[in-house]
Amino acid sequence: MKTMTKKERVFNALNRQEVDRPPVANPTSVATVEMMDLVDAPFPEACRSAELNARLAATEITEFDFDAIAPYFSIIQESSAIGCDMQWEQKDNWPTVRMSNPIWQGSSDVKVPKDFLEHKDTKVIIDSIKILRKEFGNDIPIIGKTMGPWTLAYHVFGVEKFLLGTIDNPSETKLALEKLKEFTYLFGEAQIDAGADILTVPDHATGDLVSGQYYKTFLQELHTEMAENFKVPLILHICGRTVDRMPAISETGMHAFHFDSKNKPEEAMNAVQNKIALVGNINNPETLYSKNTIEVKKEVFDCLNAGVQIIAPECAIPLKTKSENLIAITEGVSDWLSEHNKN
Amino acid sequence: MFEHEGLSKEFEFVTKESEIKHIGNSIQNTSLKMQTIAFALIQGDQDTVGELTKECLEEGISANEILDNGLLNGMSIVGVKFRDNIIFVPEVLISARAMKAGMAHIEPILSESGIEPQGKVLMGTVKGDLHDIGKNLCIMMLRGAGFTVYDLGVDTSPEDFADGFEEYQPDVIGMSALLTTTMPNMGRTIQYFEDIGLRDDVRLMVGGAPVTQEFADEMGADAYGESAVDAVEKAKELIVLLKDLRD
Repeated sequence: MKTMTKKERVFNALNRQEVDRPPVANPTSVATVEMMDLVDAPFPEACRSAELNARLAATEITEFDFDAIAPYFSIIQESSAIGCDMQWEQKDNWPTVRMSNPIWQGSSDVKVPKDFLEHKDTKVIIDSIKILRKEFGNDIPIIGKTMGPWTLAYHVFGVEKFLLGTIDNPSETKLALEKLKEFTYLFGEAQIDAGADILTVPDHATGDLVSGQYYKTFLQELHTEMAENFKVPLILHICGRTVDRMPAISETGMHAFHFDSKNKPEEAMNAVQNKIALVGNINNPETLYSKNTIEVKKEVFDCLNAGVQIIAPECAIPLKTKSENLIAITEGVSDWLSEHNKN
Repeated sequence: MFEHEGLSKEFEFVTKESEIKHIGNSIQNTSLKMQTIAFALIQGDQDTVGELTKECLEEGISANEILDNGLLNGMSIVGVKFRDNIIFVPEVLISARAMKAGMAHIEPILSESGIEPQGKVLMGTVKGDLHDIGKNLCIMMLRGAGFTVYDLGVDTSPEDFADGFEEYQPDVIGMSALLTTTMPNMGRTIQYFEDIGLRDDVRLMVGGAPVTQEFADEMGADAYGESAVDAVEKAKELIVLLKDLRD
């Protein structure tokens, strides 16, 4: 098979078609402190300046030889633009929303600020995508990211209040999600216009918090609608145990699901029945952060043996992850391929 | 099984032999009113729990009896259902809210009674993590089980935990995290306690959705609480060990 460009490889994998080698990409983030030091683009500035953001994002290709670039490192850019109380942190910690100080009480409060897409913290991602597109041309896929309404609801209403509301008043919850999805569309489309080839949609209806039935009740329809309306492939990201909702996710029409190491690759593949591509699921805290390259490669092999289409860390990686463990993901794919071809 | 039919049905979710024995014995000889409180708590019916607790106290039933035979029996079944993925956080939250409605009447009486606490626990969500549901559930369960609990809130740095230790002198420190990205801060906190020479003075317990026993062991924690109910059991075990060590 002829050597594919990174873009061809990733797109074929997303479409569950043949590839010259399985691609490696993290649809969430591979920002690390080592890379921040290397290219002089530290957090939190790299989350707030397009130039620094693009410089740090580019290391995914230049240093790790992954097959895509994902410049949105956190999950808070829209929430900052909406007006949430922010904690920007330092180089070795993620910026976060202070969810104990929610800005809205209910669906009637949900309104898109006039300057939503011109706000510094949304514009940084849009401008970074433009820089990366110019710098890397069309053969490297750029993965944008736009938060789903469930994740935004945690930020604007507070996690506890929002989850209590799902039982106290489910209709109100549905109305709030319906209104919040406007942010998902606006920011996603702006990134597509800027040059994003693919969008990750994190929407953290995780099995650590809610049941699989919740996914069907509150989100499946909204995600199906997104898959129909966005003009680029979508990768849904949900952390934690999700195998109980994977069959429903696989029916949404999204191209891929980025899954957590709490789900074994084989059981995940069985759950989705080849109706959606899987992206994942190298363990972050125990393997990438704490172990060595041998253990990383072992997990890469497990994913590839199960048939996972795109190899990736399970989520945004801990910021102090060693580079050698990230490089080992790409090397692990090459090792597997050599072994596979021999047999 | 029990006088309260609904509670009997809820008890069917308890399937481990040791728990059937432990929780079953605890409910078996309780009054219908206590069983009604337990059932209402499982259902998340805060109004019924609050009203019945008040009524029982007015009838002269002791605060301890209502806590043990009503609220905590209900919470034990909630804990089992949560651990076994029969219910999830929203359902636990409404039960926790119901427990709070009962505790509002009981707590002032218990704190006036001067009963010696089980031990002192200092709790916090680690640096960089602003999630507090899991930590708050643990605090509620620990207080219900008779511990004195000090809450450092969220985003707690190793230095904050050390300051908290100096101020409150707890037997156990509980660290919580929801994010895989912030979990390593548990290890950093443990290391910090080593560095400043306080590691042997306190037992360190970790927990949270992404945390595992393996991770807890790697970080050098003394215990891992798989759930809020388990955290209470682990805290009790740590206190016993600590007492033995001090004796």
